[in-house]
Amino acid sequence: MKNKIKEFTKNINKSELIMSIIIGLICIILVCTISIQFKTVEETNITDIENMREAELRTQISSWKTRYEETSKKLEENNNTINEYREKLNNDQETEELLDKELAETDLLVGKTDVKGEGVIVTLTDSEESTITSSDLLELVNELRYAGAEAISINDIRITNSSYIATVNATLIRIDLQRVTSPYVVKAIGNPTYLTSTLNLKDNGFIDKYKNSGKNITLSTERNIQILKNSRDMEIKYLREVEEQ
Amino acid sequence: MIFIAIIVGCILGAIIGGVAPIIPYSYSGYLAIAIIAALDSVFGGMVATIKKNFDIMVFVSGFFGNAILSILLTYLGQKLNVDIYLATIFVFVSRMFNNLAMLRRYYLEKITNRKAKKTQNT
Repeated sequence: MKNKIKEFTKNINKSELIMSIIIGLICIILVCTISIQFKTVEETNITDIENMREAELRTQISSWKTRYEETSKKLEENNNTINEYREKLNNDQETEELLDKELAETDLLVGKTDVKGEGVIVTLTDSEESTITSSDLLELVNELRYAGAEAISINDIRITNSSYIATVNATLIRIDLQRVTSPYVVKAIGNPTYLTSTLNLKDNGFIDKYKNSGKNITLSTERNIQILKNSRDMEIKYLREVEEQ
Repeated sequence: MIFIAIIVGCILGAIIGGVAPIIPYSYSGYLAIAIIAALDSVFGGMVATIKKNFDIMVFVSGFFGNAILSILLTYLGQKLNVDIYLATIFVFVSRMFNNLAMLRRYYLEKITNRKAKKTQNT
């Protein structure tokens, strides 16, 4: 066996051995690089940005640029619409404030809120000679309204545009479902000079007329009169707004 | 002897290549050019062998020199923004076809000669 190997090695030419070793090494290098290249090409994801060629990247950049421009245009448009909406919103807020103000004023006038201000207090009391009737109160309210009273209350019941003052069973005076008795304190907010002068007219004025007929009546001017709100709810059943054509 | 070396080399190379890690994709272009150059050298060597003027030093220097030169040219082309690697590939591949044609003719002649001899003998 050993001899055979020796013979074999002897047979081999030295230069041929070197040559075959060199060629073998070259084969190793070549096949190794080829297989590495195969693996690289196979395993690389071509869509990854690091692996793209320059031309592809360039086209992509230009397409992204156009898209960016489009989007920025859109953004501008959207900003404009947002500004428009904002302006509209501001306008709406203004109208809303206006409406709120109007509503508050209407509430004050209609009697939905507690109000205060300067005005007069008229006190009517039953005496032994005569009693106060509902028509007396009605007349007083009417006079006060004529004199420009903005808010009127009788015994802290606010007189509204739908209030009534009525005599029930010829004995009780009812105002808005509530029974009122003497003394009747009528508060009116308005210009005090107008109110007093209207009520104090000589002979024909309310005070004089009633004092002459022997009724107990006093008038005083106050700086700060408080009139409570009328909590009675009005239901609208038959009222309809006329539609203008 | 040389055939054994070639076969062993190919097998060893395939094994090493299978184990080796992959290279970055941007360098794979250079490697491809180098492989083409090396293959051209191999075919050139084969043709030289059949022409009986094969020199191991010429072969080895051509193998490495062509590969390195083609890589450098490709790099230069990229710097100059010219696709020089296309020219390199063109040259190497056309030479490979030439060499392959020579090999084909040589072996075809050999086979036909052998057949002719056989017919003469009979």
